[in-house]
Amino acid sequence: MTIINNALTGSLAAQAALKTSSQNVANVMTPGYTRQGVLLSSVFLRNGNGINPGDGVAVPSLIRFSDGYKNQQMWQAASSLGQYSTAQPYLTQLEQVMGDDTTNINAGMDIFFGALNAASVEPTSSPLRQQVITAAGAMAQRFNNLRQLLATQRQSVSQQRTAVVGQINELTRDIALLNQKIAATGATGAIPSGLADERDRKIDQLAGFVGVQVIDQADGSRNVALRGGGQPLVVGSVAATMSVQGNPDGSQTLKLAFAKESFTLVNGNLGGQLGGLDEFESKVLMPLTQSIADMASGLATKVNAQLAAGYTMSGAPGSPLFDFDPTSTNAMLKTTAGLVGQDLGFSSSATVAGNSDNLLAVIDLKNQPVPVSSLGSSLLGDAYTQLVGKLGTDSQQNEASMSTAQTVRDQAEESWKSSSGVNSDEEAINLVQYQQMYQANMKVIAVANQLFDATLAMFG
Amino acid sequence: MRIASTQYHATMNSALQRASVAVEDLLQQMASGQRHMLPSDDPVANVRLSRLAREEAGLGQYRSNITALQSRLQQNESILDGMVQDMQQARELMVWAADGSNTSEDVNAMASSLRSLRDSLFYTSNTRDHEGRFMFSGTAVTSATIVYDGTAALGARYSFTGNTGTQNVVVGNGVTQGANVDLNGMETLLNQLDEAVAALSAPGADVNSPAVRTIVVAGLDGLDTALNSVAGKIAGLGGAQNILDTLDGNHANVSLSNKQALITLGQLDYGDAAVRLNAYTSALQSTQKAYGKVSALSLFDVI
Repeated sequence: MTIINNALTGSLAAQAALKTSSQNVANVMTPGYTRQGVLLSSVFLRNGNGINPGDGVAVPSLIRFSDGYKNQQMWQAASSLGQYSTAQPYLTQLEQVMGDDTTNINAGMDIFFGALNAASVEPTSSPLRQQVITAAGAMAQRFNNLRQLLATQRQSVSQQRTAVVGQINELTRDIALLNQKIAATGATGAIPSGLADERDRKIDQLAGFVGVQVIDQADGSRNVALRGGGQPLVVGSVAATMSVQGNPDGSQTLKLAFAKESFTLVNGNLGGQLGGLDEFESKVLMPLTQSIADMASGLATKVNAQLAAGYTMSGAPGSPLFDFDPTSTNAMLKTTAGLVGQDLGFSSSATVAGNSDNLLAVIDLKNQPVPVSSLGSSLLGDAYTQLVGKLGTDSQQNEASMSTAQTVRDQAEESWKSSSGVNSDEEAINLVQYQQMYQANMKVIAVANQLFDATLAMFG
Repeated sequence: MRIASTQYHATMNSALQRASVAVEDLLQQMASGQRHMLPSDDPVANVRLSRLAREEAGLGQYRSNITALQSRLQQNESILDGMVQDMQQARELMVWAADGSNTSEDVNAMASSLRSLRDSLFYTSNTRDHEGRFMFSGTAVTSATIVYDGTAALGARYSFTGNTGTQNVVVGNGVTQGANVDLNGMETLLNQLDEAVAALSAPGADVNSPAVRTIVVAGLDGLDTALNSVAGKIAGLGGAQNILDTLDGNHANVSLSNKQALITLGQLDYGDAAVRLNAYTSALQSTQKAYGKVSALSLFDVI
């Protein structure tokens, strides 16, 4: 009778294996699916009279082909990739606008100083003087356009940060819930592979938003903390809540509330998309905004001061050409309202209208240094070129880092797939093998049956 | 190493993606003819290109200033030429008047011609531009070059009310060129001519009287001085034109070398681009063929 029993355990094991293979084949394209296999072990119940070969085969559990180290690698790569790929669209947009040599501030300054130069041919000519004011207005508009773009980018950064924080909260809640389910089912002995896959996928998404460190717990749950400061995001079945608080100066503060504790997250080293946004805002966007304002302020101050040192056509001290307002985002620099060509102080003498010495001094301002915060002291005519150069270098660096992060992520995924991904050829072989195993066990039952029949026939 | 089935597809996907990005970049470069689409493609070259463009803009403005200045100088020159002709005619009349055989009727007639020449010189000195500014008043363009005061004593009725300041035009980086001439000194001549006209037009004027002769001789000397002075200014204008021509030539040369540098730094080498495009295309084609072969392999087909 033990023969039939052994064959039965064999056929049941083969069925379990076939079922596992079928699940693997069905999920060959499922992202994040971890392949499974059967663990076979032979059964030996009792010694009997010393000639018992064993009592069949058992499937004590399914094997989940998962490598924790490879998971960690994938999540780290997701953080780097998230960080660099978030900043890149902003950088590229800035480059496209600032680098366009026909519409940028440089070209505007060329036109303004060109108009001043042209006025030197006939310093008393009203059309030429008017042209200076028109060109100054056009140049101011270019400053304003860029200032506006920078303000819009800052708004987008804030909005994106708020959206990311919302998604982080959703993911941490899901992870906490999955932790709870896994711990509960784990206690009943079943392997919650599907749940574990789903949780890993969520952690992977979370890692793209913010850098995390993941610690496995004995009950099968996973604790998630911020990589930067170690503050907890998920502990067992409890999730933290992140929030964004807007400040009056336009900046944002990140806060994390866990149970009754509340932490303020310091910017920098956050990793993931949050880190990328912080880094772009603090290292590129804000310094650039300040530099453009510095340039506009330096230009306005210098030109106005030089014009005030001269005299208008009627002999009065020159009126200011520019009006600089550092608080405005859409009209930071503009020409003084109501100004006409006659009011420009081109003459160095109150009594002589046709003198152009002060005009020459205004023209020379292009070669004078102005303080620009991210460049130090820089020539007025060259500051913008240097700013674009700096932006280009920043963007190039970010792009290189992004490409490296992409390669690392690709490799991490490949490495993960090489242990956890399904290979359909392998499953085809498994199917053939387990099918043969099943048929062989059926044959054993048939043989046992014949033996039994033969025994019965003796009594017939 | 174990390979998961989806790995072929993932590898293929990213290979195609990379090649497509490269081809897209190349096509953009070819369509625009620019080597760099964004500053980050080559930040250093971008800074160089931008600086060259600034210099080009400056040179363009200097050259346009030179053209405008040349026409302004030419205008000055032709007006001064007209004055020289007037002065030469006046001189001929004065030389004639100095001839002692002239009767008083003769000199009276000469005086009337001389009067018109005096007035012509006066009006020409006060030539204005389109906006009513005096062209020969130095930088004091709002005051008349020479004013006439009929109530003053004879010989002091004309006076110069401009100045001798120069309007400097920027024609190069730190290089300026004077754009105006002043007619300081013309009032002396006009006063002398005025005296001569008065003396010669007096009824019964006698050129042999020492008083009249002194006036006529002084007038002749004055004309010679003024002719020299104006001829000197015309020569100065001609010299300025030559300097401007030279400067313009220099600017043109610098501009040419800038443009060459702009092309070298910024323009796409189409030959090189075409070769790269071919390389990417054939890499793409072979990757696609390989994918077609590999993906057709499945053990399920044979069991």
